[in-house]
Amino acid sequence: MSIPAVPRIAYEPEPPPVDDRVPVTVLTGFLGSGKTTLVNRILTEQHGKRIAVIENEFGEVGVDQELVIGAEEEIFEMNNGCICCTVRGDLIRILGNLMKRRDRFDAILIETTGLADPGPVAQTFFVDDEMQARLRLDAIVTVVDAGHIDQHLGVQREAKEQIAFADVILLNKTDLVDESRLTALEGQIRGLNSAARIHRTQNASIDLDHILDVGGFDLSRALEVDPAFMEPEYPFEVVSTYELPMGHHEMVLQPGPDPTMNVLIGALAAPDRASVEERLMERVLAFSDEAFWVGSGDAITPGRGVHRLALTDTPMRFPFVVEPAGSFGLYTEHRPEEYGLEIVGSDGVIPATESITYTPAHVHDREIGSVGIAIPGDIDGARFQEWIRVLLRERGTDIFRSKGIIAIKGEPRRWVFQGVHMLWGGTADRPWGTEPRRNSLVFIGRNLDREALTSGFKACLA
Amino acid sequence: MTQTLRARRATTLRETWVAQLPDHVEAVAISPDGSRLAAAAVSGPIHLFDAGTGERIAEMAGHTMGTTTLAWRPDGRILTSGGQDGTVRQWDGVSGAAVAALEAGGPWVAAVAWSGDGKVLATAAGRELRTWTPEGGSVAEWTSPASSISDLGWKPGSGILAASGYGGITLMRPGGDKSPRVFEWKGSVLVLAWSPDGRFIATGDQDSTVHFWYAQRGTDLQMWGYETKVRELSWDPTSRYLATGGGQEVVVWDCSGKGPKDSTPRMLKAHESFVSALAWQHSGPMLTSGGYDGLLVLWSPSRSRKPASQVELDGVAACLAWSPDDRWVLAGTSMGTILRLDLA
Repeated sequence: MSIPAVPRIAYEPEPPPVDDRVPVTVLTGFLGSGKTTLVNRILTEQHGKRIAVIENEFGEVGVDQELVIGAEEEIFEMNNGCICCTVRGDLIRILGNLMKRRDRFDAILIETTGLADPGPVAQTFFVDDEMQARLRLDAIVTVVDAGHIDQHLGVQREAKEQIAFADVILLNKTDLVDESRLTALEGQIRGLNSAARIHRTQNASIDLDHILDVGGFDLSRALEVDPAFMEPEYPFEVVSTYELPMGHHEMVLQPGPDPTMNVLIGALAAPDRASVEERLMERVLAFSDEAFWVGSGDAITPGRGVHRLALTDTPMRFPFVVEPAGSFGLYTEHRPEEYGLEIVGSDGVIPATESITYTPAHVHDREIGSVGIAIPGDIDGARFQEWIRVLLRERGTDIFRSKGIIAIKGEPRRWVFQGVHMLWGGTADRPWGTEPRRNSLVFIGRNLDREALTSGFKACLA
Repeated sequence: MTQTLRARRATTLRETWVAQLPDHVEAVAISPDGSRLAAAAVSGPIHLFDAGTGERIAEMAGHTMGTTTLAWRPDGRILTSGGQDGTVRQWDGVSGAAVAALEAGGPWVAAVAWSGDGKVLATAAGRELRTWTPEGGSVAEWTSPASSISDLGWKPGSGILAASGYGGITLMRPGGDKSPRVFEWKGSVLVLAWSPDGRFIATGDQDSTVHFWYAQRGTDLQMWGYETKVRELSWDPTSRYLATGGGQEVVVWDCSGKGPKDSTPRMLKAHESFVSALAWQHSGPMLTSGGYDGLLVLWSPSRSRKPASQVELDGVAACLAWSPDDRWVLAGTSMGTILRLDLA
C-alpha cells in the first residue's frame, strides 16, 4: 500500500522490503507529437527487455503484436472512502489479466490517446488493491512536438495538463526549430511543471533508461532525479544587461501574453553575468517590494524598485532617464521577446549586451503551473500532516501532482511524500546526515495560489 | 448410524485426477451432461478433458493475448470462448475443432452467455453487446451508452438479459421491441448473478460493495463494509442465500423473509487471504470457496459456520465449478493445475 490514508511519520527502523512489482510507464502526448514513433522504437529496438504495450487504438505497430494489447480508455468515478476519484476500469481488467500470466514482463507501457487526462490512469494504480499489489506506477512521460507546442498550448487544456502531470518530458522534433526557440520552449514547459526532467529528442530517439524505470513515483527517488527542482526560483525570468549613454530613453513593448509585467532597472558594475550575480540577492529583495503601477507614457525610474507595467493591446512606451551613463540590468518577469521589448535611445534601438535566464517563480500560465517551496528549518509533523491532508482534500481536484522532502522535527531521516490529486502518501527515507535540514515541496496544478501554499506550509514550521 | 455415515460421506473431498494447463487457469466450464470439461489458460490455450478420467481430448489455441471466458451451449455440442483479441470462438464440444469465429465488436471480450434454451448467444466486448443465433447470425446489437460491459446474465428460464458496467445494470430482451430498462447506480459493477428464482440480481462492485436489485421493482439494497472489490458471487439453488467474496471471509446473506435488508450476514472464516472463487452446488446445500492462500474449503453454511473440509492447492484457487450432478468440484489454480475433487 504505497498511499496510506494517514502518513506514517513515526520512526521505522526496519529497511523497506524489496519492491518486485512491475513498473508501469504512462505515455501521453498529442497526436503527431511522436508518441507512436516512440512506442514503435520500444517494440522494435533490441533492448533486452520484455515490455507489454497497452494502446487505445491499434496503430501502425506491425512488429511484435504479441506484446500489444488493446484498451478502451474507460474512465469512471470511484468512491474510495471519503474521497472520490476517477480511474481507468479497462486497465484494471487488462492489467489484472496480464499479471496472472507466467511469462513476466519487465515493464508495461500504457499509451494514452492524444487528448487523455493522465489523472485517471495514475490514480488507477493507487486505489485498486490488485493493481497496487502487483504493479508500480513508475512515471508519466509526455512527448511534446517542439514545432507545434504553441498551437497546442494555446487551444488545448489537455496539452498543458499532460505537461503538468509529467515526470519526464520529451521535447521532440527539435530539428524543426532553432536553439533559441528550444530554450524558450523549455522555459515555457518549466513554467507549467518545474519538477519534470526535460530531454530534447529527434524522432523520439532516446535511451530507454531515461523513460523506463525512472522512479517518478518512487518516494525516495522522486526528487533526486531532477536537480532543477532544487534550484532556487526567482521573481524575474530574464536579466538583460545594457551599456546605456546618459540621456532620455524609452522602453517599448508590444502586446504580450499577460496584462501586467513587473520590471526593474538597476545599475551594475559591468554588463556581464558576474556583475548580475554579484547583486542578485539585492535585486530579488527589491523585486519582493510593492510595485509602482505605471501605464503607457508614465516614466519609470532606474534604481527605484520594481514597476508593474499595465500592458494594453497597443504598443506601449515607458520613458526613463539615464544619469550618469553606465551599465544597467533590466530585470523582467517574463522573457523580453514575449513582448518584443526594446530599449530605444536617442540614436535608435540599443541591443542588450547579455541576456541571462533564471528559473522564474511566477506561474507562466494563468491556469496551470507549479509552485515550488524551499525553506530551511524543522517542521511540526502533526501540523504538516493536518495541513497537507486538508489541502489535498479541498484542493486536490486542481492539484495534479505534489512532491516533497520534509525535515520533521525529531526525525533523523528525510520524510518524503508524493501525491496524485487527492491520493497521497509518504514515508521516512534516508538520514539527513551532514546535509542541512531543509524542506522542498512542489505542487503542480490549476489556479494554484502561491502565497497561500507558502504561508500554509510556513505555518507548519516547528 | 446410517445418518452419521451419510453426514460423514458428504463432508470430504477426494482428489480423482489432476491435469496441467500451460498457465494460470482463467476459466473452467463443465459440459451440461458432465462428461467433458474445458479449461482456459490466461495466456490463451483452451484444453478439453474427459471429466471422468482427466484425459486430455483436445488442445485449442484459444485467443491471442489471452482467453477470458468460456461457456457451453446448453446442448453440449459447442464450447464458446471469448478473449482479449476481441473475438468469440466456437469449438466442437467433442473434438475441439474450431467451428466459427465471431467479431464481438470491442478490444476484449468480457463475457459470453447462452440463453437457457440454447437459442441465443450473448457476447459483450467493450461497449458492444451482440446477440447471435446458434449459426452465428445476428439477433440484435446494443451499444452501452455509459461504459464497457463487465458481465452478462440471462434471467433464468427467460429471454431477458442483464448487462452490467459502470453506471449500473441494463435489462433487455434481445430482438424484442421494448427499450432497455436501466437500474442506475453511480459505481462500477464488476459481476452480476441472478438468483435462480429470478427475483434478485446481485452485483459485486469495484468500490467494495454488493448490491441486491429487486428485478421486478428495480429498487436496490447496498451492502457495505467489504475489504476489497467484490468479484465472487454465488447463489444457493433455493435463492435464499447469496455467498460473496471481497475479503478474507465468505459472507453469506439470507434473502428469505423480508430480504437481506438490515440483516447480519453469516461470516465464514477459514481463508488467510482474500477469497478468490465461490461456487454453490446446483441443487445441494454445499458451498465451496477458494482463496489466494491456496485453500479450497467446503462449507455447509445452513448447518455450520465451520468448514466441512479443506484441501490445499498449489496456488490461488482461481476457478471453481460443480459438476451437474453435484458430486464433484472442479478447481483451476494460478499454477495452471486443474483438479477434480469428489465428495466422499
